[in-house]
Amino acid sequence: MSWPIIRALVTKDLTLFFRNRFFAFISVLGIVAYVVVYFLMPASVDEELDIGLYAPVLPPIFEQLQGDGLSIETVDSVDTLKDGVTEGRFLSGVVLPEDIMEKLAAGDKVTVDVYFASDTPEELKDAVTNLIQELAYIQSGQILAVDISEEIIGPDMLGMQIPPRDRMIPFFAIFLILTETLGLSSLISEEIEGRTAQALLITPMTVNGLFLAKGITGVTLAFGQALLFIAITGGLNQQPLIILLTLLLGAILVTGIGFLLASAGKDLMSVMAWGLPAIIILAVPAFGVMFPGTVSDWVKVIPSYYLVDTVHLSANFGFSWGDIWQNLLILLGFDIAFVLLGIIVLRRKLT
Amino acid sequence: MSLRRVGILLSKEFRHGSKSFIFIIAIVMPLVLSFVLSMVFGTLFSEKPKLGVSDEGDSQITQMVIQSDSIIGREYDSADALRNAVEDGAVDMGIVLPADFDNLVIQGEMAEITAYVWGESLAKNRVVLGATVANMIRDVAGQEVPVEIATTTLGDAESIPWNNRLLPLIVLMAIVFGGIMVPATSLVDEKQKRTLSALAITPASLGEIFLSKGLVGVIVSTVMGVLILVLNQAFGAQTPLLIGMLVLGAVMASTFGIMLGVFAKDVTSLFATNKAIGILYYAPAFVYMFPDIPQWIGRIFPTYYVVQPVVEISQQGGTWSDVALEAFILIGLILIMIGIVGILARRTAQREALA
Repeated sequence: MSWPIIRALVTKDLTLFFRNRFFAFISVLGIVAYVVVYFLMPASVDEELDIGLYAPVLPPIFEQLQGDGLSIETVDSVDTLKDGVTEGRFLSGVVLPEDIMEKLAAGDKVTVDVYFASDTPEELKDAVTNLIQELAYIQSGQILAVDISEEIIGPDMLGMQIPPRDRMIPFFAIFLILTETLGLSSLISEEIEGRTAQALLITPMTVNGLFLAKGITGVTLAFGQALLFIAITGGLNQQPLIILLTLLLGAILVTGIGFLLASAGKDLMSVMAWGLPAIIILAVPAFGVMFPGTVSDWVKVIPSYYLVDTVHLSANFGFSWGDIWQNLLILLGFDIAFVLLGIIVLRRKLT
Repeated sequence: MSLRRVGILLSKEFRHGSKSFIFIIAIVMPLVLSFVLSMVFGTLFSEKPKLGVSDEGDSQITQMVIQSDSIIGREYDSADALRNAVEDGAVDMGIVLPADFDNLVIQGEMAEITAYVWGESLAKNRVVLGATVANMIRDVAGQEVPVEIATTTLGDAESIPWNNRLLPLIVLMAIVFGGIMVPATSLVDEKQKRTLSALAITPASLGEIFLSKGLVGVIVSTVMGVLILVLNQAFGAQTPLLIGMLVLGAVMASTFGIMLGVFAKDVTSLFATNKAIGILYYAPAFVYMFPDIPQWIGRIFPTYYVVQPVVEISQQGGTWSDVALEAFILIGLILIMIGIVGILARRTAQREALA
């Protein structure tokens, strides 16, 4: 294996990639588009139900319940309350009667006026209604004879929820890596179709050298794009070394899969035909991060799960080496398996 | 321009092109995505809090949770299964009801509930679920509600359910993917195989070749658009107007597909272009999905003028007067694109002649 030859081949592939101004521009534009989408998305999570309250006499329970999911703002008139609801400042406006405390103490039924904007979903109207009823129960002294032992499962993110755009970071980064599967496999497929790969093999270049050169090109392109995206969006703020290593392992994984795809397809179109379903399958674990609870444990058989999960846990929760070493080990195992398998299958096709 | 030659080329496109991977994907993908988005994401994007129940007895609470309209309720076979669901984030909260729970509550004796709360659950969801469960328990216990709530609705805006919010995305996918990719890949394929040069030396003009390829895209795209609307029961009353708007959308997508096909020198470049600008095709649908985003942003993107009239007609009973402005803008955009394609066709013809 001759390193100068490998270096020359890698340089040639990368030069060709960037010399094609259209292709280079489009690749940069892709990253820019993802970055723009990221920054357009909300940077925070609204965790509270904003309720406006007009109450000549404020029952103590309403004061106690401020915070932890409820934001109650008192206003000085019903008109201000209605304006707040129609302008969207409040999810609902609650008007408590002046004699609420006397009536509750006497066991009489109290009428509470609640205002909603017409586009408030029914479930939120029901939620507010349930909430007011529960507050009234408590204020009237009706005790709930139930002892609830509460256990928080997983890290308690109350007050520090992950904004949707940060949940998207692993998805975008992984998607950029995955699409390079197509890039690399088409690069190899082009060489096979144009018979330049076979031509290369009658030079001092060996089959192993060819794989290594193509592998380095694939890893550089996939890793470089994902790294650029994740660096711009602040994904490296926590555990940068883990994320860098994970992205690198991910890039090696897609390189192995790229070899397999290149050997499966007879021309560029068939490479695309095999590549798209492969990308869709590999992208499934990323949906599990964006929409927790939608995928069950079977998703762990998909190699990209360990890539997505590690980036998500490290970037969004700050998980350290001790927490995710198993993920990295499994990912490395998949890398070795796919790269070896890809090389074996592609070598048979080439020779 | 010979219509006979266009017809011959069109039938050739259907005979050979229909076996291509992109053609099949253009038909299958919108159907699969429609199914997945409607069935799965309609629930995923719901703002309803999710509550899981593991009932060791036969409590009324379980049925109340499952039948509730204000939350999404799910029943689990065991406390372990419930705990796992909470850990995965499938539910915001899970409660384990003991065997004799209802009797204890009715008799006013202290009952015990174990509640698992997902750490990533929003504070407001926790409050709502807590209040909802407490209300249900009080209902079973027979406690009298101390308040009567009089609800008043202000304004005339409408709440848009998630299934409806997703419709523009599904429709755009049906129209745009087939409309753009079918003619674009066909053209690039001909360029790569050099059959375009071969065709150029026959009496068929490049305009006729582009037109036949564009028509395939228009037909596939329109048929898929209609099919998706029918499958989503969103066809509305103004059928001719709706089909007219779908055809205009398909024409725009196909014209753009031809432009892409002319510019892209190979399939790799074509896919790379789609990777980069694909998100812009669907941007108006994403803006529509999230009402918090200023809706004027959607108007920046040309596909807005395809999807807005379709949504207006199919979901809000819109008529021609409601969508006329968007339709004229769309026609204007199409004419500009056709003009560009005309210029491209002339330049390509000159290049082929020189070659």
